[in-house]
Amino acid sequence: MSFLVLDNLQKSFGAVQVVKDFNMSIDKGEFVSFLGPSGCGKTTVLRMIAGFETPSGGTISINGKDQNRLKTNQRNIGMVFQAYALFPNMNVFDNVAFGLKVAGTPKAEIQARVKEMLALIRLEHLADRYPYQMSGGQQQRVALARALAPKPQLLLLDEPLSALDAKIRISLREEIRQIQRQLGITTVFVTHDQEEALSISDRIVVMNAGRADQIGTPSEIYNRPATRFVASFVGTLNMIDATVEDPAARTVRIGDQVIALREMPGSHKAGDPILLALRPEAGSLSSTGDSRLQGEVISSSFLGSVVRTKIAVGANAVSFDTFNAPDLTMPTPGEKVTLNFSSQDLLVVRD
Amino acid sequence: MNQASPAPRLRLSLTWLGLMPFAVFVLLFLLLPTMHIVIGAFQTRDGSFTLQNILDLNSGTIPSSYWVSIKISATSAALGCLIGFGMASAVVFGAVPRWIRSPLMTFSGVASNFAGVPLAFAFLATFGPVGLVTLFLRQNFGIVLQRDLGFNILSFWGLTVTYLFFQIPLMILIITPALEGLRREWREAAQVLGATTLQYWRMVALPILFPSLLGTFALLFANAFGAVATAIALTGSSLNIVPIQLFAQIRGDVLGNPNLGYAMAFGMIVVTAIANIVYIWLRIRAERWLK
Amino acid sequence: MSIGARIIGWAVLIFGLLYFFIPLGGLFEFSLKARRGVYSFDAYREVFADPQFQATFTYSVVMALVTIAIGILIVVPTAFWVRLKMPWARPYVEFVTLLPLVIPAIVIVFGYIRLYNTSSWLPLTGSVFGTNALLAFGYTTLALPYMYRAVDTGLRTIDVATLTEAAQSLGAGWFTILRRVILPNVVPAVLSGAFLTFAIVIGEFTLAALLDRPAFGPYLQRIGANKAYEPFALSVIAFAITWGCLGLIQIVSRFSKAAPSRI
Repeated sequence: MSFLVLDNLQKSFGAVQVVKDFNMSIDKGEFVSFLGPSGCGKTTVLRMIAGFETPSGGTISINGKDQNRLKTNQRNIGMVFQAYALFPNMNVFDNVAFGLKVAGTPKAEIQARVKEMLALIRLEHLADRYPYQMSGGQQQRVALARALAPKPQLLLLDEPLSALDAKIRISLREEIRQIQRQLGITTVFVTHDQEEALSISDRIVVMNAGRADQIGTPSEIYNRPATRFVASFVGTLNMIDATVEDPAARTVRIGDQVIALREMPGSHKAGDPILLALRPEAGSLSSTGDSRLQGEVISSSFLGSVVRTKIAVGANAVSFDTFNAPDLTMPTPGEKVTLNFSSQDLLVVRD
Repeated sequence: MNQASPAPRLRLSLTWLGLMPFAVFVLLFLLLPTMHIVIGAFQTRDGSFTLQNILDLNSGTIPSSYWVSIKISATSAALGCLIGFGMASAVVFGAVPRWIRSPLMTFSGVASNFAGVPLAFAFLATFGPVGLVTLFLRQNFGIVLQRDLGFNILSFWGLTVTYLFFQIPLMILIITPALEGLRREWREAAQVLGATTLQYWRMVALPILFPSLLGTFALLFANAFGAVATAIALTGSSLNIVPIQLFAQIRGDVLGNPNLGYAMAFGMIVVTAIANIVYIWLRIRAERWLK
Repeated sequence: MSIGARIIGWAVLIFGLLYFFIPLGGLFEFSLKARRGVYSFDAYREVFADPQFQATFTYSVVMALVTIAIGILIVVPTAFWVRLKMPWARPYVEFVTLLPLVIPAIVIVFGYIRLYNTSSWLPLTGSVFGTNALLAFGYTTLALPYMYRAVDTGLRTIDVATLTEAAQSLGAGWFTILRRVILPNVVPAVLSGAFLTFAIVIGEFTLAALLDRPAFGPYLQRIGANKAYEPFALSVIAFAITWGCLGLIQIVSRFSKAAPSRI
């Protein structure tokens, strides 16, 4: 059963439409990420769910209840902000207790709940500290505890990791995911970092210019990107411009080579341009798979665990990764090589 | 080691030399004169140490003049804070259009520097016996300021109202950045946690602003306490406040004891210094929060 | 923003603006009432014809210019030197420059009178020139907080160390560096400080009155005690000059923002 439903959501600031026809259903306990570059409208959707912005059109409902007419402070939502936004005049305990205090919770209950929350984020020993005395990672964990303390029905995370160091970012994102699973709380997470989104989410919404380009599990998004935008935004992907050779035989022409696709969308006629995508890790120099492309090596770079080689196939540059091994000889520029891959890894992508 | 040491010392002293003109100037025209007053406050006429001058401050009209001065300064500072805060928050929180901010800040920068004789005349021309507002009220509403409202420009309230002319803009100048330092996320975090606007102000915004508010109050207080020209031009010698009394003492030794004059001046330094120390201390606390 | 909040906001703002403008209007209106029954510029005519006005006003203008010159000579090299060579001393220097805001002017001048009287080691008050110099130094002291802050802020926007090293590498001496490199770069800041100094000095009362110098401030106060309408006309003039100066500061600072002094 869908818990959070965004139906035909729209938002315009003056003449600029930043969110267009956004539809989405999120199940109870699900962890969903909104992924996209800055300005794609992901934060605006989140702020509409929180009630900071009023939708120009469409509805938001949580647990079957329409939220449009509720004020922010009536929605029972927890939110974590990018810049922590802890109250600087309160120590950790009072920050976490804030939501309970304004709700008029009895003192003893507040005590117990705050303790429980601080235990959850493993910061019981810092209850008396003020925000300015703590590191960014600690502050953000307190912000998470503060958001969770009043037992919200929904947790919103607005780029909560962006302001942190790389190392803490990874450990905190694991911690957030673990706490989310433990509490089973429905969570919407906004980020521009694809690795973050892929590693933490049940489902990902890739947003582009106010629209959801693709909604799917991390593996669907990564392995079967639906559009050029998704393909280029998520991971490194070779984009290959080709023309349809024979729709019936599902063959396409790349430069002067012709290969067969696993499947081809019905609408294509012979001579039509078609956009293909291939992950670097799908290709190999050893003869595996059912498809091959010849090319000339442009460059080869050593990246540690893998060697990334770029070859020219017709007008396209195609990169592929080979695992490093002590006896590996790196391809030299100018060398002619054959790239082998499975035809099911060659995807057709919408523009 | 032995050979190296003279060179840095020489360079160090040359560095210090660059500060000499400033140091000499400040010493001659700021520090020494002030020290002379402070030391004089603890000396008898023939130069021996005494606390008698300080004790004598508690005699005659001196205590009451301090009291009136402190009352005027505190009242004008408090009202200045209140009205200035209201105006600044109207602009910062969007009750009035944003474009008003820039001209208001410019205007405040100008008006906050405006104390002195002309200001006194402006208020005399407005609230004096034949002033603009006085006549307007009398002719249109039959209200006589002095008789019906007990207001006299040459009085405690008259001086307070006049001081407000530079106190309010000073408050606006200082508190606007502090109000803008209230981050949007704090209000949103409070809202999303279920707080009403009132709860947000009571539990978050006002506690955060408190050091700034109190600190600005201290600054406004010191500002009013040291104002001489406005007071003299407005009230002549009819109002017994410290700067006027000290002015008369310097001119003609009305206290009959020059060292008692030193003590009075010393008292002024103490009061404004306390107010400023409170201001600086609270300012540092406020900035630590708003980092 | 709710309607109620909007109404309160406007009410507070309008109250404040009335508070500023009614006294100015009252002052101007009153200064025009010298002739019974009609508005006239009689008071202004009287004022301008008064030789004392001309004398005191000229005196104050000259004083203001001298003060500005002394202020620039003392503040610019000091602020430059502190930024370049002794950044650790900046808080202390800044603290000292802020002292004139803490110590009331009347106390400072009291100290002058007692310290530099005719029987002291430096009898400045013994001669007219000495007293004038003392008054100028006193004004410089009063203006110190504003002047220093303005110049120091101006220096912050340019990279003092790099500019100095560049000039030194081209063979410039300290005087040349200050005059040809640093000063032109902080001109807007110095001008702001100068206009503010001018505004302060032109109507200053306490120092001039207690040092017994024929300046505009004491003249205004004296006239106020003796004449009916002239002091109000004088106040309008003083207001106009002050606001003109402070308006110029705004223009200068806008100008310097539009064309940042970075090279």
